[in-house]
Amino acid sequence: MSNLAVLPIILPLLAGILVAFIHKKKTMVRITSQIIAVVNLIVIGWIFIQVRQNGSLVLETGDWAAPYGIIIVGDLLAMTLVLTTNIVAVASVFFAPKSLSEQQETYYFYSFFFMLIAGVSGAFLTGDMFNLFVFFEVLLMASYGLIVLGNGKAQLRESLKYVLINLFSSMLFVTTIAFLYSIVGTVNMAQIAERVKEVEQQGILTTIGILFFFVFATKAAVFPLYYWLPRPYISPNPVVSALFGALLTKVGIYSILRTFTLIFNQEVEMTHTLFIYLAAFTMLFGVIGALSTNNVKLVIAYNIIPAVGFMLMGIGIFTEVSISGTIYYLVHDMIIKGVLFLLIGAIVYAAGTSDLRKMGGLIHHYPVLGWLFFLATLVLAGIPPFSGFIGKLQLLRGGLAEEEIMIVIVALISSLLILFSMIRIFIRGFWGEERELEHPERKSKAARMVWPAAGLLALSILLGVGAEWFYPSIESIAEYLMDPEIYIDSVLKE
Amino acid sequence: MEFIMAILAGILFTTGIYNLLQKQMLRIIIGTGLISHGAHLFILTMGELKTGERGAPPILTEGVESYTDPLPQALILTSIVISFGVTSLLLVLAYRASKINGTDNMEQLRGNDYE
Amino acid sequence: MLVAVLLPFILALFIPLLSKWKNKLHTGYFVTIVPVIIFIYFIRFIGAGFEPVTREYSWIPSLDMNIVFYLDGLSLLFVLLISGIGALVAFYSIFYLHKSEQLGNFYVYFLLFMGSMLGVVLSDNVFVLYSFWEFTSLSSFLLIGFWNHKKASRYGALKSMLITVFGGLSLLGALVFMSNLTNTASIQGMIDQQQLILNHEYFPLILCLLLLGAFTKSAQFPFHIWLPDAMEAPTPVSAYLHSATMVKAGIYLVARYSPMLSSNDWFFIIVSTFGIITLCWGSYMAVRQTDLKGILAFSTISQLGMIMSMLGFGTKMAVFAAVFHILNHATFKGSLFMVAGIVDHETGSRDIRKLGGLMTYLPITATLAVLASFSMAGVPLPFLNGFYSKELFFDASLHLKVTPEGFKELLQMAMPYLAVFGSIFTFVYSMYFFFGTFRGKANIEELPKKPHEAPFGMLVSPIILVLGVIVIGLFPHLINEPFIAHAAHAVKGVEFEKHIKFWHGITPPLIMSLTVVVFGTILVLTRKIWQPVYRFIPGVLSMNKFYDGTVDRVERYSGKITNGYMNGSLGRYVRLILAAILVTTFAFMAVTGGFTIDTSNLADLSLPGISVAVMMVIAAVGTIITNNRITAILILGVVGYGLSMLFVLFRAPDLALTQLIIETVTVALFLLVFYHLPKLRKKEESASTRVLNIVISVGFGAMMTMIAISAHSSKWFDSIAGYFIEKSHSLGGGDNVVNVILVDFRGLDTLFEIVVLGIAAMAIFGMIRLRGNKEED
Repeated sequence: MSNLAVLPIILPLLAGILVAFIHKKKTMVRITSQIIAVVNLIVIGWIFIQVRQNGSLVLETGDWAAPYGIIIVGDLLAMTLVLTTNIVAVASVFFAPKSLSEQQETYYFYSFFFMLIAGVSGAFLTGDMFNLFVFFEVLLMASYGLIVLGNGKAQLRESLKYVLINLFSSMLFVTTIAFLYSIVGTVNMAQIAERVKEVEQQGILTTIGILFFFVFATKAAVFPLYYWLPRPYISPNPVVSALFGALLTKVGIYSILRTFTLIFNQEVEMTHTLFIYLAAFTMLFGVIGALSTNNVKLVIAYNIIPAVGFMLMGIGIFTEVSISGTIYYLVHDMIIKGVLFLLIGAIVYAAGTSDLRKMGGLIHHYPVLGWLFFLATLVLAGIPPFSGFIGKLQLLRGGLAEEEIMIVIVALISSLLILFSMIRIFIRGFWGEERELEHPERKSKAARMVWPAAGLLALSILLGVGAEWFYPSIESIAEYLMDPEIYIDSVLKE
Repeated sequence: MEFIMAILAGILFTTGIYNLLQKQMLRIIIGTGLISHGAHLFILTMGELKTGERGAPPILTEGVESYTDPLPQALILTSIVISFGVTSLLLVLAYRASKINGTDNMEQLRGNDYE
Repeated sequence: MLVAVLLPFILALFIPLLSKWKNKLHTGYFVTIVPVIIFIYFIRFIGAGFEPVTREYSWIPSLDMNIVFYLDGLSLLFVLLISGIGALVAFYSIFYLHKSEQLGNFYVYFLLFMGSMLGVVLSDNVFVLYSFWEFTSLSSFLLIGFWNHKKASRYGALKSMLITVFGGLSLLGALVFMSNLTNTASIQGMIDQQQLILNHEYFPLILCLLLLGAFTKSAQFPFHIWLPDAMEAPTPVSAYLHSATMVKAGIYLVARYSPMLSSNDWFFIIVSTFGIITLCWGSYMAVRQTDLKGILAFSTISQLGMIMSMLGFGTKMAVFAAVFHILNHATFKGSLFMVAGIVDHETGSRDIRKLGGLMTYLPITATLAVLASFSMAGVPLPFLNGFYSKELFFDASLHLKVTPEGFKELLQMAMPYLAVFGSIFTFVYSMYFFFGTFRGKANIEELPKKPHEAPFGMLVSPIILVLGVIVIGLFPHLINEPFIAHAAHAVKGVEFEKHIKFWHGITPPLIMSLTVVVFGTILVLTRKIWQPVYRFIPGVLSMNKFYDGTVDRVERYSGKITNGYMNGSLGRYVRLILAAILVTTFAFMAVTGGFTIDTSNLADLSLPGISVAVMMVIAAVGTIITNNRITAILILGVVGYGLSMLFVLFRAPDLALTQLIIETVTVALFLLVFYHLPKLRKKEESASTRVLNIVISVGFGAMMTMIAISAHSSKWFDSIAGYFIEKSHSLGGGDNVVNVILVDFRGLDTLFEIVVLGIAAMAIFGMIRLRGNKEED
């Protein structure tokens, strides 16, 4: 039974290898990938249901008992995120053929894509610090492959910065793991947690924790480490941007969430207070960035950052309510960022430009696209009863219960500015005089591009309106995270 | 000895970062090389260093009681291989990026055309 | 009751289908049915023996978001207004909006609004209330932007959205805070436990947040500026949302929370002050408008201010008057908007400077206008409802029940004068509205259309509303006992048996009314003299400039700030990132006392080790100094080889070998690639940058070293490595422990390490083979 836990990693890995062999045949590779992605999603959905009913799946790989071998921990948090990842993946894989050039499709896009999924799923599932590093490398390498795919001028330029910053943070990561290993003598997360707790996180451990935080925060794009994010994210193809926007920063946030609930939970006064301040700055500077530009893709890319701030806020407040807010927001944000990048890809394709000043009146030609974008804006801005609101509500509740007034006010202001930054696109891009389209020939293709995004958006709305179906699970995850003993016991059974 | 190694690794980080902060691609990439050397040295140091009689290489031999810590070594091996992959990719990327953009000066690769 | 609220939403879903037949039958007919049904459903509740009704429906119980409808007198008043005026406006819009317009969109927004507004006034659950609240803002946004080809329309839509959503979010803050304190999401529940909120140290903050929500929505000074721009919406919308219903949501909210708040001094001071300022400012501003709808917009602002200030007074009489005026205002202002719409529709102009003398062309409309505007002015005539509420307002302003001290005493003294002052201007613009449009000299040639009386259908709705004005005016008791008294009861929490009389004798309120009429008439007659004053003062105090400036600044400064640091320079980014890590980590190390040195368990110094280390240091520094690329690459190789020598020394043979091979390949790759790239140049950097670089890099290296030393000095646990050495042979089947770890104990790492290499290979292959497009970004 517990062997199931490894499937979310192995299936995409095998898929990635398989499609690498048939990469030359465009139609075949495309259809194969779509079928596999859907099958994968179904399998993961099934595993998710199993986990929800029967509790965590803990797999000792190679049958080496914890803490000696690598442990895969399919708990509800990991499986929720893996499931969401695969949902976004399915939407992307159906969007891809409409947006990628033939060259890009045949030069291993689908392999990179599956490897990325494998890496992301692995990062969510692993219970081993060093193995987390390895999965980080898998997903980063796949992202390098995706970001350079196409070899555009700006694309390569931005890729280079992206690779360099990530390379540095990886090196810092692996070194920090070694520091921690020196003290606690293990790389198994459950055992690390147990041992850190035993010495009450004294001495150098908090400093090491902060280093871990910075490593993950660089990936998650927390203030003041997010500089590398916006431009590289918009330089590749929209489908790649969607995958990045939906998945990569979330792995960083997940890692912070995991390590700072499970391992470094003894010096909350210091570490988590720092998070609250950083969260405030992340929100503000992120949304200021989103307001700073007329490049519609860049607006979306900048909007990744305040969302990260919201999630970090919940971790910083560190109560059951706020953590459940963070998790809900995490799931919501993965989906809505996928939606927005896919939609903006379609918008830019339809308008023939990404400069907002050159757009206008698109709604007369693309009503469906326009209204989907409007809805997505509301979802992103956290207008009730959509999914963004549920997470935000819990974050506010948690914040006010702890009387963290400052962060609550910043969060409210950021919500307004997020809405402003997005509704600008709707008002200036979609409203206005009806004009001649610059690319009337793109109409039918652009119309077809919206469907994967529409599917994701429907789910996102369901996640808000039907919160009753989801929230109890999320709440139970928060409860579980706030009591790390459960995790430790499930891994180190004896 | 550990302290000396820690200092050495720190110096490798220092020089690596200094190079990373330069403008020219070659220096930057050399910088990343130095940083990964530094990182690997740190990992090694974090297992207990054992020279001379204190520990044997972790290859099981009759009659030897004390071995050096094998786990950091395994981790370093994995990390070396991964770094190698990244560095090769980075080299090719740098090459392509500088060719297509006509410069290897990172300050000229800012790309402020996204207003 | 749920069905009644959901009915508009449900119909909205079918509108796209219905609007397909719009050429046969105007979509408005279908839409009118909905509010009529709702009105009939709710009017059955009216009666002297009315008791509040609660209905609960489960929605998201785990988040305490259940749909709980609480129908008391106050809600009932609003529900009937929303559905009643809604029906009239929907019917009116059939004649106002031509079939060639995008009727489908219009009616979807319209129904969305109606449903949301019903939700706002019925919800007892604050989070559900907030949801509906934001939806009223959104539907208002869409309706203002209905003619979005006009720039002003887009401007007004954005403005109203930013301001009302700003208020909405602050309201959310207050609601969450209150529900946290009282542990309930029910408004009635909060009122029951009001002491928990009133005595909390953050109560002033809660109050401010709550009132921000109410003031922005109800266009109170200084947040009123969105309302005049909202007049870009089609006139039926202005009549409905921006005078009768949506803008009263803020009033509703304040009234709803009155049982809890009205005993509080801060509530009295803030609400009555803002209310009375709004009354004066709005009526003054209305006088200088030239657009008919502009006059009505500012008039609405001023009337809302009046209601708000009465809620602030909080006395029994004031509350009764406030509730009464909510109804009265809806009747006369709704009809005036419809009149303005008719004038616009029939003449093609709303500019009062071009209009005039229309009485002969639109006699029925003019009759309606005179009744409604005189009622608005509070002219003492026994058949105008506006007079009664105005009279009550004056009376209330004379009888504030406050302990006279400090600012409160000042307020108490000033209030009657301010009330009269504001009402004078109310009188002026009301007269101006009527006389300027319908009397005087007609200049028909200048109008875009030749004016004639509106079609009968268009007149039906305003006629019904004006009939309401008169019926309420003639028989105030008809609605008082079964209806208004219950609403006032809900706000004040005590029974009302107020009797409204026309003739009280010569009382102070009547004198105030007469003062208003006298001064108002003088101002109307001498209007020309005052023009320069009207034009001058608002220019100095314009909140619009502030708004425009802020919005503009937000965009401009965010551009400046962002481009200031996000300049695309990798060096800059890395410097900032490293500096942040450096400072924070050192701070944490210092505060937690993280730095420790323990020299007990150390390996012996060995000469070969030290010499290799020295060599590596020299080589590493050499990479910085040299300006020859081949040299730089080769000495990087030296560092690598040095590292593999250290691996040998420290008993890691496998590593040494791997490192040796990989270093060789890497150096070869370096040479291959950089053979084609430009030569190394001298580092042309400013001295300050260089110093900064040195500080950051040395600092970072020192930090890593210190952490390493501390970590090494804190070996508190046995490593799990012992297990590997012990079991490698027996369980792993190999003697080389490192190898066994790699392929067995931690096989998953190795598998994915190979995957990484594989992906790298594919990526490199792609980069080499794919020719990029130089042009496209």
